[in-house]
Amino acid sequence: MTNFSLLDGSIVALYLLVTMVAGVMVRKYVGKVEDFLVAGREMNLYLGIASLAATEFGIVTCMYTAQNGFDKGFAGAIPGVLTFLAMFLVGYTGFCVKPLRDSGVITIPELFEKKFGPRIRWASGVVIVLGGLLNMGVFLRTGGDFLVNVSGMNPDYLEEMMTLLLIGVAVYTILGGMLSVLVTDYLQFIVMSAGLIVVTFLILDQVGWSTLVNTVQTHYGEGGFNPLKNESMGWSYVIFNALLNTAAVLTWQTQIARVLAAKDTATGRKVYTGTSFFFVARFLIPGIWGIAALALLTPEQIAGNSLLAMPKMLGLIIPAGMMGLLVAAMLAADMSTDSSYMLTWGSVIYNDIMAPFRKNKWSEKKGLFWNRTIIALIGVFLLIYGLWYKLEGDLWTYLGITGTIYLSSMSVLLIACCYWKRANSWGAAAAIVCGALLPVATLTLQKIGPYTDWFKKNDTVCGVAIYVIVALAMIIGSLLKPQSKNV
Amino acid sequence: MIDGIINMLQNHWFWELLTLACLIWYSTITIYVAVKGAGDIHNMLRRLTESKK
Repeated sequence: MTNFSLLDGSIVALYLLVTMVAGVMVRKYVGKVEDFLVAGREMNLYLGIASLAATEFGIVTCMYTAQNGFDKGFAGAIPGVLTFLAMFLVGYTGFCVKPLRDSGVITIPELFEKKFGPRIRWASGVVIVLGGLLNMGVFLRTGGDFLVNVSGMNPDYLEEMMTLLLIGVAVYTILGGMLSVLVTDYLQFIVMSAGLIVVTFLILDQVGWSTLVNTVQTHYGEGGFNPLKNESMGWSYVIFNALLNTAAVLTWQTQIARVLAAKDTATGRKVYTGTSFFFVARFLIPGIWGIAALALLTPEQIAGNSLLAMPKMLGLIIPAGMMGLLVAAMLAADMSTDSSYMLTWGSVIYNDIMAPFRKNKWSEKKGLFWNRTIIALIGVFLLIYGLWYKLEGDLWTYLGITGTIYLSSMSVLLIACCYWKRANSWGAAAAIVCGALLPVATLTLQKIGPYTDWFKKNDTVCGVAIYVIVALAMIIGSLLKPQSKNV
Repeated sequence: MIDGIINMLQNHWFWELLTLACLIWYSTITIYVAVKGAGDIHNMLRRLTESKK
């Protein structure tokens, strides 16, 4: 039994109404495809920070980062620290993002066409969409699980609740594109942040810092504070996460879309430096919630599922009135993520995968129609794949694999495209093939063959190796292709 | 409150300092972005309206 009351329901309903109305109202400002996909490149600094932070924090993020806190203690927040460093350095130096934004492209594969040709642009678009949509496919159900456990709602209504939520998000995203995403992200950032901060202070007040520290010390010893002394982490975990998060900062579609929608390159870079510290909060705040769950819940209450420990704990300690703020905050987090993911991956389908069909320039009206249709189809895909289809197996491995399929090759291509003159289509093709096949091969070897235990124990070593091999594939492939006499 | 913070800093100062920095930064940036972001939306929509004329 949780403390979700009529007052809480009213807070959530009011939040949903205001967001939907705001999202739909800005549709009248959309006149061109550029308005729809990159908000006419009129996004300024503070709106960019709100939008990037809101997009990168969904319920699924909250669940896994809390699980990291529950399973690894404070050391579980290390990926957040690494993302902060990567994003700050990329924003400060302009590494890759400056040439990318200066080029005036709408998507990363569009930049690749200038260096590697149209086939690599198309292949990159396919890999990006495949990795991104499969990654996003599990968001709805995980979000639903959180809301059911926190609010004490009947789990039988999970599918219906999340379907209605997705339809609401899809309506304003289809009508207003990036403009609706930015305006609703702004509102969602405020609600989400208020909820995260208030609940964290409440937990610190009720549980106490000493209890949190002692709980981590008791369960994990020094390894709960130092990732290098944690049995499940170590150097390979830190290096893999540094590579993974740097690649995400450079190429993850929802992040880079903010640089591309910024009014100029300097603003795009400031959005990165200004948002960078949020990524520490993104891991540390839910991590503290996870540690609090470890401190407060009995093994019977956890029932062997560390993923649901945090929402169960919140359902028990958050009082009526504040529960509404928490649910509204988490809905805000999820809606901003869903809308942005649908739009930005839809933009790659339209701009890059459909590029061969747009050799004769399309009218703005036709372009907008197709963009809206693609988003509606992504919504249908999410509904079928993510909600009504129950995924078997380990979700965390699933997210890591689908992410790496895309991140390893796209980050290598982007760096080579921006800074290596000798890079060419052979190297790009080799990197894309290796980046797509190696994660799948690793997953297969974890399940089949004589060395399954080794591959399971050394999954982060394999992850680091994939990035190194993809980079080598780019170098060797590029060097093997005969140089043009014009170069 | 002060005693609590001192107690925090005596135990595993890195995570305590990071948690404090996180909560202070996040609270501040939320208020700052809430105020400045509204201006950004207003200016963005104004410029889009002007560009259509």
